[in-house]
Amino acid sequence: MGLVARVVEQLGIPTVNVSTGRDITALVRPPRSLFINVPMGNTFGRPGDADGQRDILRKALNFAVTADEPGALVDLPVAWGEPFEYFTGEATPEAIAKQKKK
Amino acid sequence: MEPIRYVDALNNKYGAMGFPAYKWSENETAPWTALSKPLSECTVALLVSGGISHCTAPAFDPDARNDHRVDAIDPDAPTDGYQIHDSYYDHSDAGRDLNCIFPIDRLRELADAGEIGAVAARHWSGFMGRTYDRSRLTAESAPAFAENLKQDGVDLLIAVPA
Repeated sequence: MGLVARVVEQLGIPTVNVSTGRDITALVRPPRSLFINVPMGNTFGRPGDADGQRDILRKALNFAVTADEPGALVDLPVAWGEPFEYFTGEATPEAIAKQKKK
Repeated sequence: MEPIRYVDALNNKYGAMGFPAYKWSENETAPWTALSKPLSECTVALLVSGGISHCTAPAFDPDARNDHRVDAIDPDAPTDGYQIHDSYYDHSDAGRDLNCIFPIDRLRELADAGEIGAVAARHWSGFMGRTYDRSRLTAESAPAFAENLKQDGVDLLIAVPA
């Protein structure tokens, strides 16, 4: 996704990447990124929390204005409120076999 | 809480499954295009890589690899008309409220309130993870995608990786 943003930006359209994977984003270095320390899948928050979702989206939009250097990566002070872990997914034998064929 | 170290976690997970080491993209610099107008005049599009498709479209492959598919998403379609197929993240909350990851309703509200100029004619869903053929991505798929944004007069893209 960060690579796509880099190409889009290079072709003349500004981008803001809203990331939940800080280390990956730091490596790929999209033009502008906000990092939010929440579970992947909850970038904009909790289900039904329209105000919270809107607040994060608004911050992402504003970052297109305030980011001041290529590759800017800023940590948003958002707390998830409970511990969370890396999502391991369902590594079923079928899924592994299917991936290996590709 | 310290950020999750996804690079280590993913290397361990796929290494244990017998995959060759993934060469992570690493860039020292980044391209830059300045925003050309105030947000209140900008047409804004969303791009999400979380396996989200219209219920009337085929499902994404939840274990996608080298899948360059990217679907146009109708920004006015009701947010309960989507399916999510992606084994790389927990989308149980997004399944209940798509806006958790793809804030289509929230963007429309900001357009209605005049905070942005307009919602783009199309949002986008695709470019799922584990792309090994990155030269094809940067040389073909991503430029073709950017062309679609230009056709729609998009001034700003909000990209949401998952």
